[in-house]
Amino acid sequence: MQVAAPLVSHDERAASGLLLPLGVVLIGVTLIPIAYSFWTSLYALNLRRPRLVPFVGLDNYGAVLSSPAFIAAVARTASFTVMAVTAVSVIALLVALLLNQEFPGRRVLSACLLIPWAIPSVANGLMWKWIYDANYGALNGLLLQLGVIQHGMIWLGDPSRTLPLIANAFVWKEVPLAAILLLVNLKAIPADLHAAARVDGAPAWQRFRHVTLPALRPGFTLVAVYEAMVAVRHFDLFFLLTEGGPGNVSDVVAWRVYVETFRNLNFGLGAAMAYILALATLLMSYGFIRALAQRV
Amino acid sequence: MTIDLRLTRRKALAAAATGLALPVLHAGRGHGAETINFATWSAGVDQVKAHLALFEKQSGIPVAYTNSPFAQYRETMITKFTGGAPVDVLWVSDSWLPEFAEAGWIEPVNPYPQLMAYDAETSDFCTKSMTYKGKQYGLTYYTDYMAFLYDADMLAKAGIAAPPASWAEVTEQAKAIKAKGLSEYPVAIGLAQESWLIEFMSAMVFSHGGRFVDDSGQAAASPGTVDALQWLVDAVQTHAILSPGAVQTGELEVLKSLSAGRHAFALLPKYRLRVVNDKSQSQVAGHIRQAMMPAGPGGSHATVGWMRFYGVTPRALANKARAEAAIKLVEWFGGKADGQYRFQKVVTEQLGLGFGAKPLFDDPDIRRTLNQYGDVDLMAQQQDLAQKKDTIAPWFGEWNDANGVEWQQAVLGKKPAADAIKTSAAKWDALRKLG
Repeated sequence: MQVAAPLVSHDERAASGLLLPLGVVLIGVTLIPIAYSFWTSLYALNLRRPRLVPFVGLDNYGAVLSSPAFIAAVARTASFTVMAVTAVSVIALLVALLLNQEFPGRRVLSACLLIPWAIPSVANGLMWKWIYDANYGALNGLLLQLGVIQHGMIWLGDPSRTLPLIANAFVWKEVPLAAILLLVNLKAIPADLHAAARVDGAPAWQRFRHVTLPALRPGFTLVAVYEAMVAVRHFDLFFLLTEGGPGNVSDVVAWRVYVETFRNLNFGLGAAMAYILALATLLMSYGFIRALAQRV
Repeated sequence: MTIDLRLTRRKALAAAATGLALPVLHAGRGHGAETINFATWSAGVDQVKAHLALFEKQSGIPVAYTNSPFAQYRETMITKFTGGAPVDVLWVSDSWLPEFAEAGWIEPVNPYPQLMAYDAETSDFCTKSMTYKGKQYGLTYYTDYMAFLYDADMLAKAGIAAPPASWAEVTEQAKAIKAKGLSEYPVAIGLAQESWLIEFMSAMVFSHGGRFVDDSGQAAASPGTVDALQWLVDAVQTHAILSPGAVQTGELEVLKSLSAGRHAFALLPKYRLRVVNDKSQSQVAGHIRQAMMPAGPGGSHATVGWMRFYGVTPRALANKARAEAAIKLVEWFGGKADGQYRFQKVVTEQLGLGFGAKPLFDDPDIRRTLNQYGDVDLMAQQQDLAQKKDTIAPWFGEWNDANGVEWQQAVLGKKPAADAIKTSAAKWDALRKLG
């Protein structure tokens, strides 16, 4: 007589049992806060009125989506994201192409490249705050010594320069990771393809356009999706460098969420705003992946 | 005879029960006095600890003292209140009073005559600043005002005999100083979005005879308010005597910049006079003087005053013993200790902090300390003209952010000053309606 095999083997049961504590912790620190913050977004919870917390359903979401300040913040966030992602992609590609060549010191250069990525976000922000300082910043010091400017420039205080300068600080930190992702793709391109193209007489630009770039599409997809997600949700540099100013030129969505939640103590509205941001990020990533995957 | 050392189940249970019971028994005995939880931000920590040690020795009341950085203090305390953490006595800023009072996080001290008696010796704006809806919420820890400082050396080099008495004179003197190449931007005022912004703006507004909010609580948008902002706009856009970078310059940067000798005039909290005249911290030590706040057209030498105070929580007053202990602590720090304003004197002498107790202006030790780097009589004269901020309301934080944006946009030339004030006033009234 044959005995039916158990649905779940002993090994699988043991593995589940050993993973259970981790699962509990993960649920405790991720799923429960996510669920609770969504629950909060359905209430008019303002800590200034802790005893008056009515259920408002989706009213908070309606208020956010119809708020001119939020819509303006979305526009600024989009502008920052496009600037930052474009710059990261282009610079990372150039760095990856350089590191794909063999030259003395390549390994040392590769290691140095990782330094900006390794610096904590707050340290990065403070460093750039000092660099951009109008009175004693390194940028003014360098340009004055080179004779490019005659007197110290107001960098972050000039509304026309604020977002690009913040984007610059963002790009400096994000390029290393993006470059590594693209370099991995570059290394995977079979050498035969380039050799064949060379034999056919294709110049360097054509080999780049028809061999290298198509092969980099998965890498670009990953870089674009990841960097866009990071840029859309970025908060650290806006907090450290400008706090949404001057005026409101750097008042992006992430800053708005912080102000609404922690300064205005409007937790319900802040949570709704955060969920809208999360949903927008998700949809944007999905759109990116679909659009770029279709061409692969 | 043998001793049975085996760990039986009965012995293990008995040991565990004893272990659990001990803390309960220990707590049950009590220590007599309630421990008071005292929270402050990280200023004068050594002075606070020293004064606390004296308090604990004299009163026998244990105090659990904690402090956190000022930049995160409001959020930290709100988190503690919301989470039910034990807080009995705490420092509170006048800017947060309505917010904290409406939320029920602090309680009035009117039922305690021993504290209310100090009002007779306290600067008027100081008492008003810790009063909300007719109730007083504590005793002052620190009281100060926005001072107008000038570099006497730079003025002398420019051939200017006396500091300006009006904002029009500030413009003319600054232009003269700039023309002589003594300073690129002779005026330093911090207009960055930070906690000091409302004080910088209020000093300008009050000295121009303006108000943000009238006595009924409605937005005032008075001509003086527009004039104040217009002066700043002209200083940046027309005369170039104030840097456009002022919108990114906070109070600390103004202090450093003035101490580096870059400016002839600055608005700074009066207590900073000590730092700018300290040789170890300033390149212009000995040159910086205080003058009365310049008056705008239709204005006066008024300035804005502010204060921080010792508040008490509902938890502190929940039972008689704890309430007595908490009130004693508040009086020890905010009032008199052993018959004198001991703590206020210590922080004034050692840190240069301002005080709300008027008799201290006549104290010989205080006069000697303040005259080392300033003019104590002028300080007192200016303090008499300090006005409480008129924008303190539960929605102050939200309005303050929006108002700051409007002022910055006007200073950067993005919108006319009158429009900025109008928008800011509309925001105030809208928030007031929401309550």
